[in-house]
Amino acid sequence: MFDLLPHVLNGLTLGLLFALIALGFMLIVGLMEQINLAHGSLFALGAYFAMQLLGPRPPLPPGITTAWLALPLDWRYAATLILAPLAAGLVGIAIEFCMRRTYGKDPMYGLLLTFGAAMVIEETIRLTWGTRDYVLQVPQAINGGFLFGDLIWSTYRFYAASIAAVIIGLVWLLIEKTPFGATVKAGAHDSEIVRALGINLTRLRLLVFFFGTMLAAIAGIIVAPIWGIRPHMGVDAVIPAFLVIVLGGVGSFWGAVVAGLLVGLAVGLCGAYASEWSLLSMYVLLVAVVTFRTRGLWGKKSVLEA
Amino acid sequence: MKKREISRRSVLQGSLMASALAGTASYFGPWKENRVWAQGTKPIKLGLTCDASGQYGNSGQDDLRGIQMAIDEANAKGGVLGRKITWITADTETTPATGSRIAERFITREDCTILIGAVHSGVANAITQVAAKNGVIYLNTNSSAPSEAGENCSRIKFVWDGNGTNFSKASVQNAVNSIGKNWMLLTNDYVWGHTTSAATKTQVEAAGGKIIDNLLVPQNTRDFTAYLLKIQQAKPDVVATAIGGDDIKALREQVAQLKLDGKPAWINNQQDWPDVWGAPNSLFGVFGTTWYHKLALPGVPEFVKKWQAANKEGSIPVPGNVSYNGYMATRELLRAIARAGSTNNVKIIKELENLKVSAADRMQHFDAYMDPVTHQMQQTIYLARRNAKPSDSTDLYEIISWTEPKAVADTDAAAKCKLVPYEQVPTVDS
Repeated sequence: MFDLLPHVLNGLTLGLLFALIALGFMLIVGLMEQINLAHGSLFALGAYFAMQLLGPRPPLPPGITTAWLALPLDWRYAATLILAPLAAGLVGIAIEFCMRRTYGKDPMYGLLLTFGAAMVIEETIRLTWGTRDYVLQVPQAINGGFLFGDLIWSTYRFYAASIAAVIIGLVWLLIEKTPFGATVKAGAHDSEIVRALGINLTRLRLLVFFFGTMLAAIAGIIVAPIWGIRPHMGVDAVIPAFLVIVLGGVGSFWGAVVAGLLVGLAVGLCGAYASEWSLLSMYVLLVAVVTFRTRGLWGKKSVLEA
Repeated sequence: MKKREISRRSVLQGSLMASALAGTASYFGPWKENRVWAQGTKPIKLGLTCDASGQYGNSGQDDLRGIQMAIDEANAKGGVLGRKITWITADTETTPATGSRIAERFITREDCTILIGAVHSGVANAITQVAAKNGVIYLNTNSSAPSEAGENCSRIKFVWDGNGTNFSKASVQNAVNSIGKNWMLLTNDYVWGHTTSAATKTQVEAAGGKIIDNLLVPQNTRDFTAYLLKIQQAKPDVVATAIGGDDIKALREQVAQLKLDGKPAWINNQQDWPDVWGAPNSLFGVFGTTWYHKLALPGVPEFVKKWQAANKEGSIPVPGNVSYNGYMATRELLRAIARAGSTNNVKIIKELENLKVSAADRMQHFDAYMDPVTHQMQQTIYLARRNAKPSDSTDLYEIISWTEPKAVADTDAAAKCKLVPYEQVPTVDS
């Protein structure tokens, strides 16, 4: 039992990270019925922007750069957590502008467009930062390990899981408890009525995409110190994100969160007790669930059944 | 302002026009591949099967840099047999199916008569099968599964890197005696990982040690915490890893973060330079390599300068073992063609089977030779660890030992390797 406990805890922290990675993806699929295949690339872009801002040469005039780098790493890191997702959000806005003509049409158009955007972003990353790997600096306070029982645990992983939990909570509040969330959900359900009520649906969708992109970028920044930063890191993110959304049920907020935790537990426990199954376990879990519940754990009729 | 609309008809018309122009231009234009070459002046075309994406994307591109450098050097001297060397490359994506498809295309459609390049052993094996079917010589530059020169060997294939058995032999005996007998294995779940860990297990048990667990790590694993917790619970003396590419980079970061890089002791079978370059601070344990750019040997500084001049745009500033292997394999192939005085595949194979390279020419400590039974290059194996007193930002290794080829020879491979007779190799001539 005491041998098992560390692996359950590890699985849950990993699950929160999976849920965080899937959150922006879920938002755009659930509220706009658009499958954003560029999610992984935007995730990577967040990590690269953060690395650029924290690193030795942010793209600013020399004087400002010197002043910026003179700040303590903790401050720069805190600022980066806001600035890098905002910068990635602007890229998201550009993608949304291109996507507008696909709304209400065959979902294949949106899929192809975001797939193309993913390729463009990944190649731009290669051209800008090269193919080498980078490490994201993090403040000393959240680095290193601590003793829990007789095992050393990663401080950063618990920080990352805590941030993920907080962001999940904030997103839930925004969607479920604010007029903005209610309007967006109404727009996804019946856009004509929402337009008839005089609400600017175009602007709402833009905001949702901007917000979803920011979440992808935040996930990239949080996960980067664990996975490392490399051009194709987005591919490693988009597959679990997609899996978590389908497993939880497309459009279901809590479905995505619970699915993320389940996937984390499956991967963590298999890593310890049946290691060769650890990555495969998430796919087995998906097959087991959709065999009995085709719409996932808490799914509703959605774009995937259109 | 008049609104301009693009109709489907105009797109079709435009496409047809562009195709017609491109076709006409390539028929009449100066594009050399469409010319009829006079006998003996046609270029020798090489197919470079290097990964550009996937787990070994970085290593594949570093391999390519070394291969290109050897080709450029040969062309600068007028080519081989008075013929220029040309090449084509495509991303094999660290995927065996893609490797196989590209090898097929290079041979049947691009008229490549020799293939070079691989880091992933599964990709190398897939390419080997296509090359063997067609009699095309294939240089496996950088994949190091013992099976590549063992059960998956081939008359047409030559393996240039040290393999898992070579590195295990160089490191295990000493580690069992000096560190401890309880070992744990961390194994990438594909052919290289399995065969390398099997070689380590044999060496550990022969030295009187014991394998207490073997954790299989699926490829593309990014989070190793479950494995690290398991290792902490098991408390082994030594952890021997056979983890490669992007996976080892992620593992190194996480081991360093948890400060597990001191105890247990870590033996990483082989460390490829592109896997190290991005994160030098997390370089831990003892590991094997075949070459290092700071080896105190004649010719090394000149080679490094030449490589840097040829790769100004590269993301890695100095050549490592991967680029070195790519360079050496290609250089020796081109020399073998020159010595054979022919591009006939069997004549070249015989030249490579009898290959001997002096230590000075290979910039290693001992003379190297191609094993004619397994087609694996027998060479000096180095053990290294992180350099605590680097002379510059690229000086990441401290070379702690060098072992001569016969002391680390993979003697099991010869029993497993069955090469077909020359008569069964389809004839290929460039």
